[in-house]
Amino acid sequence: MFSRSALARAFALPLEQATRQSLTTTTFRACLHQASTPSNTSSEEPLSATPRAQFSTPTEQPTHPTPTANPPVTRADVPIAKQPLPPTFMTPLKVSKSLLDTLPLLSTQKPHYISAHLHDRPYLLTEGDHLRLPFLMPKVKPGDVLRFNRASILGSRDFTLKGAPYVDERLFECRVRVMGVDSEPLRVKEKTKRRRRHVQKITSKHRYTLLRVMEVKIKTVEELEKEGEVVVE
Amino acid sequence: MPLRGIRTVTTARNGVGAFILPCKRLDFHYCDWAGSSRGMLAFLKHALPKFATENPQIEIRVSPRPHKHPIITGHYINGREKSICVRNLEPEQIFVKANLLKEASGEKLKRTKKPVTSINESVRGIWSPYHGGLKSV
Repeated sequence: MFSRSALARAFALPLEQATRQSLTTTTFRACLHQASTPSNTSSEEPLSATPRAQFSTPTEQPTHPTPTANPPVTRADVPIAKQPLPPTFMTPLKVSKSLLDTLPLLSTQKPHYISAHLHDRPYLLTEGDHLRLPFLMPKVKPGDVLRFNRASILGSRDFTLKGAPYVDERLFECRVRVMGVDSEPLRVKEKTKRRRRHVQKITSKHRYTLLRVMEVKIKTVEELEKEGEVVVE
Repeated sequence: MPLRGIRTVTTARNGVGAFILPCKRLDFHYCDWAGSSRGMLAFLKHALPKFATENPQIEIRVSPRPHKHPIITGHYINGREKSICVRNLEPEQIFVKANLLKEASGEKLKRTKKPVTSINESVRGIWSPYHGGLKSV
């Protein structure tokens, strides 16, 4: 489950712009992905503060009028657990009082780990990890930034935030970068039939998408307040 | 007092902050005389300028290799290189091969069982029988 859209790319911008100064001094080869988006140079704030505030307001999501508990059925042959979750941004994030009290303990204790789910498969990730997906992700190019928005567990050394079954995606930020496409060595499967002196050799060579975890961040209470969360008892 | 491993200096990892494409150079070799280079020559004439402008971060070299089959060689930031022989291929097929070299990581092909490789130390720490929750026998 990932959200790659124009928005998601735009969110990744401040990070890349922060690194632009170092890039220009060392090499010119890494300039491709910044070159296409020169307009958003005004965002000087850190990455966490800028992007997500607009998501929690209901007016920003006019295209999803009825968020339901059931996931939208996009393909019949995909099991229901692997269907994408609908966006839940129609209402502001609801946080219980106890979570608000204990969240600073978790969010201030670094480093964090996340059990991010992609196609209903969990990946235990920390910042800087290398992730080789067991499939070839379509329509991504090297350098793209994806945001994982489905997590079952967020944690640090002493504290864990468990979702039931998933943590709300507005509580954390997990971004990964597409590094390229890798391949496996050629597989040769020997097939035989009875009473036939012939061995059929079936070959296959799968390709996999390589990702690098850029950041795993759990939002602080102040950031949640900025985005307008609602405290419920 | 929990157990802690020895702290290590942080290492630079491509893609965490800045991203550099692993493929840094592509060499295109052709032969003017041989028929197996016909598709390669068409690719060099018509498709390569567009490919090069779309990928300004890759250095592209074109050089003849007389009396040999045409090949594409990719050079990667980890020091390795990959070569693909493109004899008798059509320009579209050569474009696919060039894309393959462009997106490759440069590593030797391996079968891996685990999707995640990490050099970070364990977040939760190493379990110790002598700390926390001691039980008397």
